[in-house]
Formats: sequence, structure tokens, C-alpha cells
Amino acid sequence: MPKVADIQRALEPTWCPGCGNYNMQKALLEVLEESGMDFEDYAMVWGIGCHGNGADFYRAQGFHGLHGRALPLATGIALTNPDLKVIVNMGDGDGYGIGGNHFIHSVRRNIDMVAIYHNNQIYGLTTGQASPTSDQFMQTPSTPGGVVEEPVNPVGVAVAQGATFVARGFAGDVEHLKSLYRQALDHHGFSLVDVYQPCVTWNKVNTFKWFRDRVYKLEELDGYDPTNRTMAFEKSMSTFHELTCAPDECKIPIGVFYREAESFTYQDGLPQLDRPMWKHAEAPRDISKILEAY
Amino acid sequence: MTEKVLMKGNEALAEAAIRAGCRFFFGYPITPQTELAAYMAKRMGKAGGVYLQAESEIAAINMVYGASAAGKRAMTSSSSPGISLKGEGISYMAGADLPGVIINVQRGGPGLGGIQPSQSDYFQATRATGHGDFHLIVLAPSTVQEMTDYVFRAFDLADEYRMPVMILADGMLGQMMEPVVLPEPKTELPEKPWAVTGHRGERPHNVVNSLYLKPEELEDTNIERFERYERIKAAEQRAEEYLVDDADIVVVAFGASSRIARSAVNKAREKGIKVGLIRPITLWPFPVNAIGAAADRAKAILTVEMNMGQMVEDVRLAVCGRVPVEFFGRAGGIIPTPVETLAAIERIAASLEGGAR
Repeated sequence: MPKVADIQRALEPTWCPGCGNYNMQKALLEVLEESGMDFEDYAMVWGIGCHGNGADFYRAQGFHGLHGRALPLATGIALTNPDLKVIVNMGDGDGYGIGGNHFIHSVRRNIDMVAIYHNNQIYGLTTGQASPTSDQFMQTPSTPGGVVEEPVNPVGVAVAQGATFVARGFAGDVEHLKSLYRQALDHHGFSLVDVYQPCVTWNKVNTFKWFRDRVYKLEELDGYDPTNRTMAFEKSMSTFHELTCAPDECKIPIGVFYREAESFTYQDGLPQLDRPMWKHAEAPRDISKILEAY
Repeated sequence: MTEKVLMKGNEALAEAAIRAGCRFFFGYPITPQTELAAYMAKRMGKAGGVYLQAESEIAAINMVYGASAAGKRAMTSSSSPGISLKGEGISYMAGADLPGVIINVQRGGPGLGGIQPSQSDYFQATRATGHGDFHLIVLAPSTVQEMTDYVFRAFDLADEYRMPVMILADGMLGQMMEPVVLPEPKTELPEKPWAVTGHRGERPHNVVNSLYLKPEELEDTNIERFERYERIKAAEQRAEEYLVDDADIVVVAFGASSRIARSAVNKAREKGIKVGLIRPITLWPFPVNAIGAAADRAKAILTVEMNMGQMVEDVRLAVCGRVPVEFFGRAGGIIPTPVETLAAIERIAASLEGGAR
């Protein structure tokens, strides 16, 4: 089975030194190796943004889609070949801004795929404009007076919309991130993994240190039950709108917020999707019954 | 004496819009028009207007639609892939007879393409920005000064003819710096009695709409709009002519490529080749009069573009077979050099000599 060295292409990534994308790539490569999947077993899709350069850095089948449209593309792939594990990489501006509509509808469609969001709370590729997940009042070149709007709360939205697997990771903790990727790959249904991925060049507020001072793991929280949607929603709201507060005042939970073991996927609802379309033609057809009618 | 300032093309587009009375700008980040939005973010608030970074290009053009329907001067800007997304909203604005200014700082395509300058959205701008029978007025600047002047003019044209106007720039013009003289800010803007501003019971209410389910009504709106287009074609064609009067060969080029073509024309003149340049300023309405007249005098036409050959089709329509129309272009974000453009002129000059029929 392919090892990390087989999956990783021998290219120098174009990400800035220290970019959170490096750790996200490391975690995903290692989990792909562990999973024992062959190159034919999964497909990868990328949106547009700094993360999207990753399309060149994996020797994986898949492609680099349109800005914001990675999920519909992935849907097309997953429907034509339900045996594939589809892994979608998106950014925050990409997946929660221009692709926000597709995010909500992919959650409710519950197609078996893994949606990984590289959430750096900024438009890095276009030099640092505020993104849909930028903290309120954050100053950026597009918001010299500070962001006016509330940030999108992806975990809260997904939990409220009935998502069957919702997790949040932090690019500064590779081992923890790997455990989230593993569980997301194992999940039968749409898996959201929102990853705080600090942008060292354009986001000088939400840095690695900033997150290290604030994150804690849900699985280490006494009495947290990730199969309880109400509890998940409560946790998703607990700190979200106060991200600018001091480290001792608010903590940011990471880990699996919610999972539904027996989820009903889109594929489950359409019996014809029990196998790839091309396999439908394999069985010889018996047309004698039809001919009897004549 | 008005003061000259050094500005980037993208910034000049923004400053001129504010001076033209634009108080509502809706954008979305995309390279290579980023500086335009950043400038708006800094300046618009101080001018008493609103800069809003929308969640998508589609949202942005619909915000322009709304602000324009409310009677205000509104603008959006993007680069090629983003303009494709705006196409739907632009078609609705055209169908609802709404003014508005759309700036396209072009990059190479199709698809995601690249981020280097290109002129490959000529067809999109002049033929089919969106669905349905409609046109935009399309202005093509070639200097930072023209970017300033044309945006200023675009708002007036949009209001006068009640239709969207596009500025078709490119990444090279957007990124370069040149001295500009900025226009005096407009203090008086035209009345818009059609705008949806609330009738207070004093008049029938205004409706902004592009839906007509009765074919006859819809056809009437199309006919009226195309009569307006005919008036625009008669009154608004603009082109700059350079050394055209005695030219055997006329180069036709717009925007950034016209600058290169001008250098090539100068070099060819030094070599004794009688060549001139026509630079279309309005891409729609296309300056058929200027090019048609040139075709009566010249022996050949050369179209130079930063694409695989788009405006050349309009040139051929204007020339109507009277003289040969050749094409030279570079695509994918590559800017043609004066040397290779000169070579294209020389090839035509040689063929004219060789075939002295």
C-alpha cells in the first residue's frame, strides 16, 4: 500500500514558511498511509485559496475545482463512484464564504465524504482581506475600521443543520488532527473537519501561540457526550463569538463535537448507488420476461 | 493648474469612481484587482459611502443591482473568473434598464487560468456577458489617466442610457503606476425619477423588473432597448488614430496591447514602413466608422491582441472584405513584445511588396 513518500509529490510547496498547511498535509499524508487505502480507493478535491496549491503536492486522483465549488464537484465524483472515499479540501473564504450555500446543502445531503476546511480566518492568497471567519472588529486591508460582521460559526451551523460528523482541529497539534482525520474517514456520511490553520503572513492575531493558549480537547472534558446534539450545539456556541477575549477568559474546544454512528446517507436513499454506475452494466441482462409480454 | 499624482491603475479606477459620485462599492477578493478594493476600503467610508466585501461575486453584483435600483451610483470590480459569476446579475440589470459600472481587470483564462494580464474576455464583454439580447457599453483604457477618465465618464454614460457600463482593463494596467490628473469631484448627479425610492402616495409606484411573461411585452422592451443601442452606436463610438492618414498598414489594438503596438508602429516608421494605429476606446459600440474609413485607404490591417483572436472578428466585420485582416496575439498572460509585433508588421509589409499586383 502507498506510503507517505509515495503519496507526497517531490515538489517544494509554495506555502509560506510556518504555514499551518504543512501540518495539515503531514497529518493527512500519515493518515492516508495508515488507512491502507490504495490510490484507486479515494479521490481528492481542492477549492481555491492557498490550501488549493495542495492539489499539486499529493499524488492523488482528483482535481482542483472552482472557487467555492469544491463540494458540488466532490458530489459529482461521489455519485458516479460511490465506492470512492472523497476527500475535499477547502478554505474558509472558499468554503464558508462563496461556497457557504454548498456547505449547508452538502451537510443536509449527507453524502459519504470528508470535508476538510483550512480555516485561517483570512483571505491569504489575495493578500490578507477579512474572511467570513475573521473575528469581529479585526483590522485587515479590506476592513481598515475592523470587521463589522459576526464570523460564520461552521461547527454550530453544521450541528444545527443535522450534520452526522462534526469536528474541529488545530494545525498546531498534528497527532490530535490525525485522530480527527481517522474518525472522519471511518464515518459513513458527510464529515466536517474544520481546522484552525494559522496564517503566519496575513493573520497576526490568530497565531499558533494564540490558539495554543486557548484550545482544549473535548474528549478530555468530563461528561462530554459527542452523540448528544444539544450538548454539541451548546459547545459550538460557548466561545465562538468571544474569540477576541483573553486566554483565561475563553477556551476554544477542539475534537469531535458530534457523531451519529448510524447515519442515513444520500447513497443509502438511492438503491442504484449501491455500486459505481459502470458496474451496473456488468451483470448480463435477462430480457426474456419483457419479451413474453409480446 | 491641476496637480498630478502618481497612482496605480487599480487605485485610479477607485478614486475616479468616488469622484464620479459612486458611494456604494461591492467587491470580492481576486487577483489582479485587489488594490482597487483595498483603496475603496480605505477611502469610501471617509467619502460617506459604503464599501462592502461580499461573500461572493454573485452577492456583490446583486448588491449593485439593489443600490442602483434605489437610484444611487454603484460599482463592482473583479477579474475574469469573477466577472463570469457576475454575468447573471449583469443580464438582469440590463433587462431592468439599470445603470451601474462593472470593472474587469482581466487575467488569462479560460477557467481559473492564471493571474497574468490578458484580453481574453473581449467576447464576454462585447457579446455575451450574460444571457439574453443585450449590450454593455464597454470602455477600454490604455493608461492610468484613461482609467481615471473612463470610469468618470462610465457613470455618466450608464445614467444617460440607463444601462450597465463595463471598463475592460487588464492586470498590466491595473498594476502599473503612472502620473494622473484627477477630475474634480462631481457635485451634481442626474435625477432618477424611475428609481425605487418610495412614492409617498404622490405618484404611481416604480417597479424595477426584468420579467415579462407576455412575449409581446418582452419583445417591446427588447425593441426599445435596441433602438437605444442604435442611438449609442451613432453617438458614442470612440477611437484614437495615430499616423493613420498615409498608412498602408493599419494596426488595430486596444488597452495594454495598443501601447505595445504603438511602439512597434514607431519602430516600423523608422524603417520606412507606412504604418499607423487605431486604438478602439469603445469596444461596444465598436468604432466601425474609424476602421471602415481606414480600410478604404490602407492596403492591409493587422489586429494585435492579448488573446487568441477576438476583436479581430469585429475588425473583419468593419472592414467587410475590402482589405486583408491579419491577426497577431499572445495568450495565457503573455504580453506581446514590440519586437515580435514589429515582425508581424514587417511580414505584412513584405507580402504587400512581394505581391505588388
